[in-house]
Amino acid sequence: MRRLLPRNYVFTILGIAVGVAGLVALGAMAERITRFIDGGDRFVLGQISVAGEGMGMGTGFTAGGLLRAAKIAEIARVPGVAAVQPQVMLPLNPSTSQFLTLTQELILGVDPGVRMPNREFRELPVREGRALRAGDRGVAVVGADFAGTRGLRPGSRLDLSARTFEVVGVLDKTLTAPDRFAIVPLEDARDLWLRRDPLLVQVFAGGGMTRADLNTGAAVAWADGVDPDALARRIQAAVSRLNVTIPGELSRLLRQSTAFFSALLFGIGVLGLVIGGLSLANTVTAAVFERIRDFGIKRALGATDFHLLREILGEALTVSVSGGAIGIGLAMAVGALVDARVLRQGQQLFLFSSRLLLFALLFSIVLGALAATYATLRIVRLSPAEAIRRGA
Amino acid sequence: MSVIVRAIGLSKTFRGPDGGPIPVLEGVDVAVGPGEFVAVAGASGSGKSTLLNLLGLLEPLDAGEIWFDETRVSALTRRAQCPVRGRSIGYVFQSFLLISGLTALENVLLAARYVGRPRREALPQARALMERLGVAHRSDHYPPQLSGGEQQRVAYCRAVLNAPPLVLADEPTGNLDEGHAAVILAALRSLCHERGASVILVTHRADAAALADRTLRLRAGRLETDRVR
Repeated sequence: MRRLLPRNYVFTILGIAVGVAGLVALGAMAERITRFIDGGDRFVLGQISVAGEGMGMGTGFTAGGLLRAAKIAEIARVPGVAAVQPQVMLPLNPSTSQFLTLTQELILGVDPGVRMPNREFRELPVREGRALRAGDRGVAVVGADFAGTRGLRPGSRLDLSARTFEVVGVLDKTLTAPDRFAIVPLEDARDLWLRRDPLLVQVFAGGGMTRADLNTGAAVAWADGVDPDALARRIQAAVSRLNVTIPGELSRLLRQSTAFFSALLFGIGVLGLVIGGLSLANTVTAAVFERIRDFGIKRALGATDFHLLREILGEALTVSVSGGAIGIGLAMAVGALVDARVLRQGQQLFLFSSRLLLFALLFSIVLGALAATYATLRIVRLSPAEAIRRGA
Repeated sequence: MSVIVRAIGLSKTFRGPDGGPIPVLEGVDVAVGPGEFVAVAGASGSGKSTLLNLLGLLEPLDAGEIWFDETRVSALTRRAQCPVRGRSIGYVFQSFLLISGLTALENVLLAARYVGRPRREALPQARALMERLGVAHRSDHYPPQLSGGEQQRVAYCRAVLNAPPLVLADEPTGNLDEGHAAVILAALRSLCHERGASVILVTHRADAAALADRTLRLRAGRLETDRVR
């Protein structure tokens, strides 16, 4: 190692590490935003969400009115529908705006006996404990961020609208909406809804309704080979007084509404590449030029252009890999520290995906090699005497 | 008379800070035979070091020719000149020019690396040379850890490791005290006697020039005298 790498390359490695750390940290933030947007997109493309006609009573991904059991039965009869899962989705904090639904904490009531209709999320990954089971009451499975901000683990107690639930499971991190869910049995969610909404209690007490009518919406699964957008339009045509989301349209809408984040993401990525790339290329080039005298001496001893290029590329590879690895470690350490702090607010800022880390390492190697090649080509144009004079 | 190196009409002009030409050497002819010890003397700026750089293929010529034996090396491509420098010429510079990131032994072995000599073959020779020059105990030291005299002795070992037929020494004693200077001069002189190598020595020292078989005196870029002792 000592023969391959001059001792003063320690600072070069540190310089590269700082550049790569910047690239990786910015990239990790971009990855985090990408995962969030992609997760939402996958969700809306995985099911047809429906709600009763109207607006304001429900929440979640479809603003709409009460979806009664009769309507759910009608939907289930539409050709191409494989399953309909009634749901109750409530904001954890009713005073929270519904504007940013994907980022707010939600209570999701589902029937554990019915298979999740969403094709992209057939089963939510459980990190600790277990998923909900048929017949469960008074228990909850919570998302990773939801659990993290409250220190919840299986066996913990969770108060929701003056009702206490036992946490039986904590989901693995999905980096999208379910991270902020508290998932409870459908009947428990209906109870919570009734407790919260005096108007609903009056309507319910007026007769003509059963508990099965208390749904904020439903998730519709389609049969294999069925076009979901076409099926959504068929449901809309076949069942009256219904709000139906078209998965493709909702996905486009989601993309449009997150266009700012996408632009921000692009900007962060470009910034990371420019800052990290310039820092790395400048460090490697400067390190080579700093040793111009040494290369002049080597030329005087008979070194060819190829000898020098091979040596410099070898050194550049070593310092780039070392600097890249240290930079990645540095960025991950800083990211972990920052995330540990912001996790208290239920956020995660960085996602150090394997593709990002691999890209950062390859980026530092390729750019280091290019910078070293450029510097070598500049140096070998000089005569040995000129190189020695300039390096003196 | 056979000749190791012959230069015909060497000229070199540098550019000044204002871009104007500064002629340093003009039409210099030199011939050095095998085993000859030739001193190059002259005032500062007379072109001594430039002459050595041109003869050592360290600097491109503006005009003239350089022949090694029967080969016109000045006409070779840049790539083809590399093995000539590595195998046929050894350099000893006033400022030693050791690579600070390598140990003394590694600096010496560097000469073997670029001519394709296996390290295992060159290593015993490098150690023997360092032993002879009294720096073997400093093999694992880095240049900044060595005295000037020790650095120059290491540089000498590097210059002669490949047993080149021509050794160029540019003020090798300029930064040394009398004792160390004497060691280096004696070593250079012995090259001619023991190996039959030719040495061209640029020096200001009268005692060093006195060791030479012949002295070339430069004045303002021209060869003033070529005096045989």
